[in-house]
Order: sequence, then structure tokens, then C-alpha cells
Amino acid sequence: MRKNLLLAEHLTISSVVLFIMLGAVFASFSLVEDILTRPQRYFSTELSSEEIQFILVHISFVIISVLASYIIYLVLSLHTRTEITVFNTTKSLAASLEQFVKFYEEAPVPYIIIDKSGKIINPNKAALRFFGVVLEEIKEKDIFHYQPEEDKDRIEKLTRYYKGNIPINREEVRIVTKSGAIKWALLSIFETKDPESFARTGLVTIFDITEQKQLDQAKTEFVSLASHQLRTPVATVKWYVEMLLSGNMGEFSPKQNDYLGTVYKVNEEMIDLVETLLNVSRVEIGSVRVESKPTNAIDLTEGILVELSPQIETKKINIERQYDDNLRNIESDPKLLRIVIQNLISNAVKYTPDGGTVAIRFKESLGENIIVVSDNGIGIPENQQNKVFTKMFRADNAHNLTGSQGTGLGLYLVKSIIEAMGGNISFISKEDEGSTFTIKL
Amino acid sequence: MEETNKKRILVVDDDDNLRSVLIDKLNISGFDVAGASDGREGLNKAFELRPDIILLDVLMPIMNGQEMLRKLREDEEWGKKVKVIMLTVVEDATVIAQAVQDGSFAYLIKTDQSIDDIVEKIKGMLKM
Repeated sequence: MRKNLLLAEHLTISSVVLFIMLGAVFASFSLVEDILTRPQRYFSTELSSEEIQFILVHISFVIISVLASYIIYLVLSLHTRTEITVFNTTKSLAASLEQFVKFYEEAPVPYIIIDKSGKIINPNKAALRFFGVVLEEIKEKDIFHYQPEEDKDRIEKLTRYYKGNIPINREEVRIVTKSGAIKWALLSIFETKDPESFARTGLVTIFDITEQKQLDQAKTEFVSLASHQLRTPVATVKWYVEMLLSGNMGEFSPKQNDYLGTVYKVNEEMIDLVETLLNVSRVEIGSVRVESKPTNAIDLTEGILVELSPQIETKKINIERQYDDNLRNIESDPKLLRIVIQNLISNAVKYTPDGGTVAIRFKESLGENIIVVSDNGIGIPENQQNKVFTKMFRADNAHNLTGSQGTGLGLYLVKSIIEAMGGNISFISKEDEGSTFTIKL
Repeated sequence: MEETNKKRILVVDDDDNLRSVLIDKLNISGFDVAGASDGREGLNKAFELRPDIILLDVLMPIMNGQEMLRKLREDEEWGKKVKVIMLTVVEDATVIAQAVQDGSFAYLIKTDQSIDDIVEKIKGMLKM
């Protein structure tokens, strides 16, 4: 259509040019004819003013015609080139728009365009699928319309953000679909402009994380189920054996008592393992919440030492303490800190030969609380030091140690907890000389 | 159950083995002990026997420990004041917070406690 218009326009202009050119040719002819019919007149020195006028008019007309034709030719060719460029650009723009619309419509990610007040203007197909609606049902609704009533505060916050031009980037939201199912999503809103009115609009992207959430939920449920199923039997065994060992149920022979003692000890190890497994699961599903409060790290450590005193006394381990009083009152999560220090001291005792030394040093430096646990035990072989904090790691020389029961989870747990608390842990170790673990909190 | 000078304990736990060893231990330690295997039975026995202390599990069929505690506290006279120790394997922050809010005197995790610890805690609470 546009091409035809262009052709018509060119034909008209070309005819005008042709017409002017014809005029020029005609003028030239009449001048030449006049020269030919009476040449003597043009070679005489005296010309009448009419004759001069005739000649000048014709020559001017020829010159003007040629110039005009040339100018029109220039304008016309420029015009044609521009028209062609505009035509091609428009064509490719239309094609890319079509491509973009298709991309927007068919993208697997839900996209929604909303107006400046947050009303839904144009959702893509994935968005309609996500909400389980057809276009008519969702159009004109507020973008936060589908969030559950309980999330009112959150909706208000996000609405305030959008209206106040504050970027919304991967905010976790819950969405109730038409069928009533609750979905989880990461919602972002990017500012855009309406291509016609240039009014402010928003491009909403929704990243569906429902499956991930359900998986987390399943894991959490598993942890609470496992804690119930695993803790109950070990607690039962513990209390029954305690009853037997207390002598309340009658006296046993020394051998029988020995056996009961072993059952008790192994069950205690089982309890430790269950507790560690539960802690690891909690850390892994991210359900460990750091609840900081004023904590006395020194008292906490002394409590751990009392708990470990049977092993410490059996192995005649010498405990050296160097406490900075500043650590009597630090902001920390006592429960998590206890797991960390307990693991480090218990490792040090476990992997230090009889009569060895375990040193515990607390200091405060540049606002950091530093806890150092070192021993002169078996150390960690150099070629395995990079794996110390990985799950299920046990050094080769630890396997050979008689009577050492390790799960290989302790240091993995310690590192995960320390990181959750915003601190860091490092160590230096030399085989057969000992290890030093340093925590900075 | 008729000796009046003995302090009375009610053990509410759905695990027969655990309940039975606790009852034996508390009997040996000189208490007058009764048992119940779910919250509803626990609630009935509580109002019938008026124990000095209730040892209460959380996860139980029919009526769980949290609900039993709530129902106890609804009683304006005796139930509101009776000393309750939660003794459970559930270590969930919201459950613990709820139990504290509902006025349980202690929240003990079974695997953390030796059976002697439990008796000591009860004696401490009864100022024995």
C-alpha cells in the first residue's frame, strides 16, 4: 500500500519534472530556430532591446529549467532514499515487535504489565496459567489481589514500594490461585512506559518457587518426624538402663553391670548421633534461627568441660584455660555456640593421646570474639586438610584411633553454624603435632 | 493411692514403655503416681486425681499435650495453677514458646534428661 503511494508520488513529481524539461527544450528550440532563421541579427552588433529581452528570457528559462529539474531530481532521490529507509525500518520494527509480542505471550515465565496504580493490564499466557484464570477474570484487578488475607502487611508494604518507585526485586510472596491452591513466588516489578501514552507502567515477573517450598516443607516435616521417631526409642533405652544400673531393680553381677554400662555408653553415642543428625538437617534446610542474647561463653565452656569430664579424666588430658573476662558477656546464641564449642573441645579430647594437653583460649580483639581450641594430638594429614569441613569427613589417622567414634558430621555442622552466625572458622594442623581451631565471632 | 502425705504425679505419655519406666521410677522415689496415654484421658485423670505435678508429652493421639495444657488452663480454679512439666522430643521453637505462654513450668527434651534428673526437677518444684 505504502509502496503504491510512493510510486504515485514519484510519477507525479517525475511528470512535473518532465513538463518543466519539455518547457526548457521548447524554449531552447524557439531560440535556436530564431537564430537559424535570421542569423545575421545575432551577429550584428546592434540588437534591439526587444531582441535582447527575447534572448535573455529564453536563456534564463533554459537555465532555470535545468536547475529546477536538477534540484527536483536531488530532492526526489533524497526523498526516495528516506522513504525506503523509513519503510524498511518500519518493516523491521514491526517484525521485531511481533517477535517481542510472541516472546512475551509465549514465554514460560509469567509476565504481567500493570498500570501506575497496580492494575493488571496485560498478563501473558504463563501468568494466566499461573493464576488459573482467563484474561477477562484477571484484567483490571490489582496485582496484589491474589495474595492471601493473612499477608496483608506484606501487600501494603509492596504496594507502598511500587507506588513510591522503590524497586521490588525477587520478593517472596504467596499467591492464592483461582482454585484456592497456595503458590509461592519471587516477584519483581520493573518500571516501564506505555508505548502510546508514555504513562508509567510496571512489568511484573513471577518466578514460581512452589515446588522448592514444598520440598523444604517436606524436609522440615521429615526432620520433626525423625526427631520424634529417633529420640523416643533412645530415650526409652536410656531410662530403662539407668533404672537397672541404679540398683533399684536388684543387684547385678559385676559382669552384668559391665554389659549394662556398655549398652548405656553405646546408647549415649546413639543419642549424640541423633542430635547431630537433627542439627545437620536443621542447618541444611535453613531452619536454624540465630537467636542472640547476652551469653556467658566462659560459663558455657565450663559446663561443657564438666560434661566431658569422664573422657578427660580417663585419658588424663590436661586442660589449659586462658579466659578474657570480656567473653563473660557477649551477644550470641547460647544454644548454637554450645554446639560449636562442645564439638571443638570434644574433638580435641578425642584426638589427643592420653596425658596430652587441650588449651582453650578466649580473647576479644578489635570488637571480635576469638575462641581458640588447640591440642597436641594426632593432627590432620596435610593432604586431607582441604576436606576438613566437608560432610562425612574423617581423616585417615582418625579411623585408626581405637575407641574413637566419629560421625564425620561435627566440623561440617560447626562451620555451617558459625557461618549462620556471621562468623568464620579456620585451623592450622600438623600430623602428630596437633591442631588449632580458631573461631571469630 | 490413698496415702495422703505422698505427693501425687500424673504421667501423660502415649509411649507405653516410657510411661511405664517413669511410673516405676517415681513410685520408687516415693510418689503417688498415675498414668494416662493421651490428652483426653490425661485431662479426665487430672481433674479426678488433682496431682501436684503433671508430666506432659506433646505429640499424642486423640488430644495432644498442647491442647490438654490449654484445656487445663481454662479451669479458673485448680487447672489454672497446677504445675506442668512438658517432657517431649519436640524441639520446635513455636511449640516451646506456646507451652511457656500457657504456663508450663519447664520444657524438657527426653534425650537430654537422665531419669534421675527428672525426679530431681520434680522434687525441686515441690520444694522437697
